[in-house]
Amino acid sequence: MRLFEATHVFKHDWETVSLANWRKYPNDKTPHVRHVEVLNQDVDPETGVLRTERLIMVRQNVPTLLRKLFGGDASYVLEYSEVDPRQKSMMMQSQNMTFSNVLSVGEHILYKPDPDNLDHTQFIQSAQLKASTALCRLANKVEDMCWNRFKDNAQIGKLGLEQVVSKILAERQEMVMAQVVE
Amino acid sequence: YDACFTRWYSEKFLRGEKSNDCAELFKRYQTCLKKALKDKGLTKMIADARPAIGSVYQDDELDPDREKTQGSNKS
Repeated sequence: MRLFEATHVFKHDWETVSLANWRKYPNDKTPHVRHVEVLNQDVDPETGVLRTERLIMVRQNVPTLLRKLFGGDASYVLEYSEVDPRQKSMMMQSQNMTFSNVLSVGEHILYKPDPDNLDHTQFIQSAQLKASTALCRLANKVEDMCWNRFKDNAQIGKLGLEQVVSKILAERQEMVMAQVVE
Repeated sequence: YDACFTRWYSEKFLRGEKSNDCAELFKRYQTCLKKALKDKGLTKMIADARPAIGSVYQDDELDPDREKTQGSNKS
């Protein structure tokens, strides 16, 4: 079992970051995320919380050892999220579906305003990676490889989100300029 | 649907306004999607993965033949 944890502060407000999350894919920083579909989405009438279930298709180069174990390099991930606009929190939980008998990757993400600066957004990510094969030594190697890849993907994921935030800010600027001209 | 959703999200949802702007689009998108998932044989895989992520949605959500209205109470 491997644990991965990372925290980061985006120097943008929570509303902008949460919007960027919805607009994140496709993104040239995260080419491994190939396809996203919304399976279910609605607002809980009692709590006002937006609930979403998404199917994510990932394809990335994997070491031969892993490709042999997994039977390929394309995989599906299921993600469930809740956005509370009053509490200003966005929570996402995801789990791989394909080759789950060999490797289980569960990831939890939370975006909320940074308590030290409410105009910024705190990002807290944690993941559990667990390989199950008959040979303990092989399971360790599989976990190591996947943990390293997870860490790399987490880094480019942050870059990807920043890029989308920049795009949103540029669009807003254009709108303001257009209004000034009128 | 994505375009409608992101507009609704930033202009209505985040500002606390209740509205159902994208319901019609979503319905059409879902009908198409759920048939595609069934054809690809992904329905069971999705149902099996739900407990691990704490999803509130249930198996029958993926049945494209079942009559549904968006915004109905999901247990």
